[in-house]
Amino acid sequence: MKNRLELRAITRSFEDGGTARVILDKLDFKAAEGELVAVIGPSGSGKSTFLSVAGALLEPSSGEVLLDGEPINRMGKQELADVRLRKLGFIFQSANLIPYLKVEEQLRLVANLAGVSKTKAAERARELLDQMGLSHRRTAYPEKLSGGERQRVAIARALMNDPSVLFADEPTASLDAARGLDIVQMLARQVKERNKSAVMVTHDERVLAWCDRVYVLENGKLIEQ
Amino acid sequence: MYLALREMRFAKARYSLIATIMVLIAFLVLFITGLAQGLAYDNASSVQNMAATHFVLEQGSNHRFTRSQVDHAKLEAAERIVGKNNAELLGLRMTTVVPFGGTKKVDVTILAVEPDGWLSPAVITGSSLSADAAGQVMVDQKLSEEGVSIGTILVDQPSGTKFTVSGFVRNESFSHAPVVFVNQRDWLAIQSQADQPVYNAIAIKGATAQGSELQAALPGMEVIKKSAAVSAIPGYKEEQGTLTMMIVFLFIISAFVLAVFFYVITIQKTSQFGILKAIGARTAYLARSVTLQVLVLSVGSLVLSGILVRLFEIALPESMPFRLGSSTFVWTSAVFIAMSVSGSLFSVWKVARIDALDAIGRAAA
Repeated sequence: MKNRLELRAITRSFEDGGTARVILDKLDFKAAEGELVAVIGPSGSGKSTFLSVAGALLEPSSGEVLLDGEPINRMGKQELADVRLRKLGFIFQSANLIPYLKVEEQLRLVANLAGVSKTKAAERARELLDQMGLSHRRTAYPEKLSGGERQRVAIARALMNDPSVLFADEPTASLDAARGLDIVQMLARQVKERNKSAVMVTHDERVLAWCDRVYVLENGKLIEQ
Repeated sequence: MYLALREMRFAKARYSLIATIMVLIAFLVLFITGLAQGLAYDNASSVQNMAATHFVLEQGSNHRFTRSQVDHAKLEAAERIVGKNNAELLGLRMTTVVPFGGTKKVDVTILAVEPDGWLSPAVITGSSLSADAAGQVMVDQKLSEEGVSIGTILVDQPSGTKFTVSGFVRNESFSHAPVVFVNQRDWLAIQSQADQPVYNAIAIKGATAQGSELQAALPGMEVIKKSAAVSAIPGYKEEQGTLTMMIVFLFIISAFVLAVFFYVITIQKTSQFGILKAIGARTAYLARSVTLQVLVLSVGSLVLSGILVRLFEIALPESMPFRLGSSTFVWTSAVFIAMSVSGSLFSVWKVARIDALDAIGRAAA
């Protein structure tokens, strides 16, 4: 099985009042095709930093990030933005939709940014919204959607440009248990069906049953459970 | 472009409010510009419309026609340099006339010109000046509002000289007073003491290259450009200065209004921009989006206020000096747009500084 995402000996430290605080310490990580991997850990353990480094948002102090086998370390800001646009998909905690775009436009935006043709984008948006059970909300603004619907739109948007890896940052944080489970199930299904990898950072232990592997982030290292 | 217009569609109320302010400011800018131009024209159209490029005035006259004196000898000296057809004497006197039989006094400016020369304007009704017809004058059309028509006799108050209006000319005023054109014989008649006519200036045509030569040949005289003569007309500089200051302030205000508006909504949208950057939107794309919104607002409000100004112009009374030519309109609009865009730079800078990392670990956007 191919590794979609691979982190090799990632170290990330911050200057904190004159002393360097090591958040990630020679951390190794792999996510293969069709895998949904969960990362849990107490607050302040560095989950966000881990996600930022893996998601090409933050440069590691040392170590390598490989996407589909390609290192992304030495890329410039614009190249990294392009990598995030085309190869990565993000699902954030809540309200990560743009308030002034209708559901379908949320999806069309990322296609538009990537320069995908209008007809192709429209077709793909329709297909994704169908799968997420959102066809009837195509022209609704985010403020009219329920929390669960919003996260489904976010998943659809993350999948829009057919990325390799999906990142989910506490996707169930603002949902009740049943809705949260729905979202994670949906995410897991998409990952399997489309042969993606997904990394989910979460607090929510109820959803871990749906993940292929679960890691705990402790002292800058990932420990498999 | 995708974001900019959709956001404006969504937040209609917010953008309509700012657009209204912009329309009002743009309207004021255009209106005052038109007024400034109109007043300038009303004040100085006679000099502005003259075919002259330079004037020769007495030194120490502070560029003012009324303070300067020249005579035939100076004209001949000037003619030797620029050629006989390119120099003409100009007499100017501000005075008060009374239409014969009436009691109402009217301030006018008397201009003495060569009847067949290039300083003499084209007549629109009646007959033009002639060198030998005594007491026949051409007057500015504005005098018809005072009841003056062809054949009306005007009495010059200080000298008691009577003139008969023989024709009307258009757009001829000096220091806001309508102009009465007289020939040189009548000019002599209103000069009480002189046996030889004294004029105020020599008008020169196309002498840009001979300026210093001319200056050397005319000791005690000063060669000035037409624009310098225009701004020395009493009240001209003061009028234009006040209005220009208002226009400049309006430009700055419009830039600041937009700057503040966009800065506030940009700050409000910080986490939104963070998310957009995280999902792969480039800074340039977002900056373009902000700039496009500013452009849509400023161009849109200019179009609206342009229409408003035109409607206003139709409704204004004839006597109101208002002129907004298309070149002035285009120029003013260009400055307005440039100022607006410069006002958005601050927000663009703010957008550029927003980090995609803001999107991670945030509960609310």
